[in-house]
Amino acid sequence: MEILVTIVIIAIIMAVAVWLFIAKQGDADFEFKVNERTEFKLVDQTEKTATFSCEVAFINKGSQDGTIMDAYPRHLLPYEQFDGVEVNSRMELTTALRTDNYFEAVIIPKGTGGIVIVTVTFTAKTGNIKDALQNLYDLSVDMPIDIVYQIVARTPWYIHKARMIMTCDEINRAMQAKGTAKWEG
Amino acid sequence: MAELELKPVGTRILTDKDNIVDMIEKYTKEDIGPDDVVSVAESVVAITQGRVARPEDFKVCFLAKILCRFVPQKGSLSSVYGMQSLMDAEGKWRVLFAMIIGMFAKIVGKNGVFYELAGSHAALVDDVTGTMPPFDKCLVYGPLEANGVAEEIKRRLGCYGAAVADVNDLKRALVVGASAGLDPKKLAHILIDNPFGNASQRTPIVIIKNYAAVERRTENLLSSE
Repeated sequence: MEILVTIVIIAIIMAVAVWLFIAKQGDADFEFKVNERTEFKLVDQTEKTATFSCEVAFINKGSQDGTIMDAYPRHLLPYEQFDGVEVNSRMELTTALRTDNYFEAVIIPKGTGGIVIVTVTFTAKTGNIKDALQNLYDLSVDMPIDIVYQIVARTPWYIHKARMIMTCDEINRAMQAKGTAKWEG
Repeated sequence: MAELELKPVGTRILTDKDNIVDMIEKYTKEDIGPDDVVSVAESVVAITQGRVARPEDFKVCFLAKILCRFVPQKGSLSSVYGMQSLMDAEGKWRVLFAMIIGMFAKIVGKNGVFYELAGSHAALVDDVTGTMPPFDKCLVYGPLEANGVAEEIKRRLGCYGAAVADVNDLKRALVVGASAGLDPKKLAHILIDNPFGNASQRTPIVIIKNYAAVERRTENLLSSE
């Protein structure tokens, strides 16, 4: 009986020790700093399309290295709210520029981070893009964009979202800055 | 006088739709001589064998979640999926046993015991990011029948020999399989500077030119002394 009790006590002590080790070790913890992103700038415009981009920093503030397996922007502009444009969005690392909207999995060591470029292209469904974005501005339509990212580290993979808002005021300012806005504020 | 020369060969991205021997023949046939040795990256052989798995497809056990915590975080087994893949391939009780013995061995100053006891898969699994797109989001296991693959390459191409190698930029080279008559340690030494490059899937083949000629010359020199 004493042997059994001793074994149980040893097992409990070992379990507690492992739990403490894991708790102290921690895990990766990612944050996309959407509130500190740069303002969207107009980077390209044609008769039918306007393309804007901004930069968003991210950091692994955890105590372990972590891997961003995948990441992409998810824009949310339902036709019930605004039906004048089609939207495409993509995201890329500043350290691995590419235009195919493929996010190559990357290890981010603890305490470090990086920057992603979010690019949004509006295409007018009818007419030209200036009129379409004018209409968007007149209707005061802001567009949420979720940065969706899949993380794997010491624990099983998970998907998080960080939301930012691309405002119609911001689009207006970007168009004016390029001198291509049809309106004057 | 023939000198040893390492010649990386680029290919398109190879997938499980490809036969590795056919692909090597397609991309190297014109460059291969009877004194040459053909080496191919083990991860690409594994990919063509379909030995790839997405983390999303694993059912992770409690033991994998615990044991991965005891692997330094630069290693492929430090993630739950790397550890689970090892357990699936070698058995979880074997991995647990290897981990316990490995820990005790480390305490007395002997490293690498875990990898010796946990099975061949332990050193060969590549975690996510270990290979280039489109396999960067997958784990890649070690190849099956690496010696057989090497023999088939040698037979098909008529070269001096062939090898399947795992090489990285950290000065680590391991010959996983080789055709008969080749010395794996000698080959690993030749490949230690990673001639496959970082993106080994785009240059997954390295031809070691004049291998046999240099070997013969060395043997003649040694016998004349």
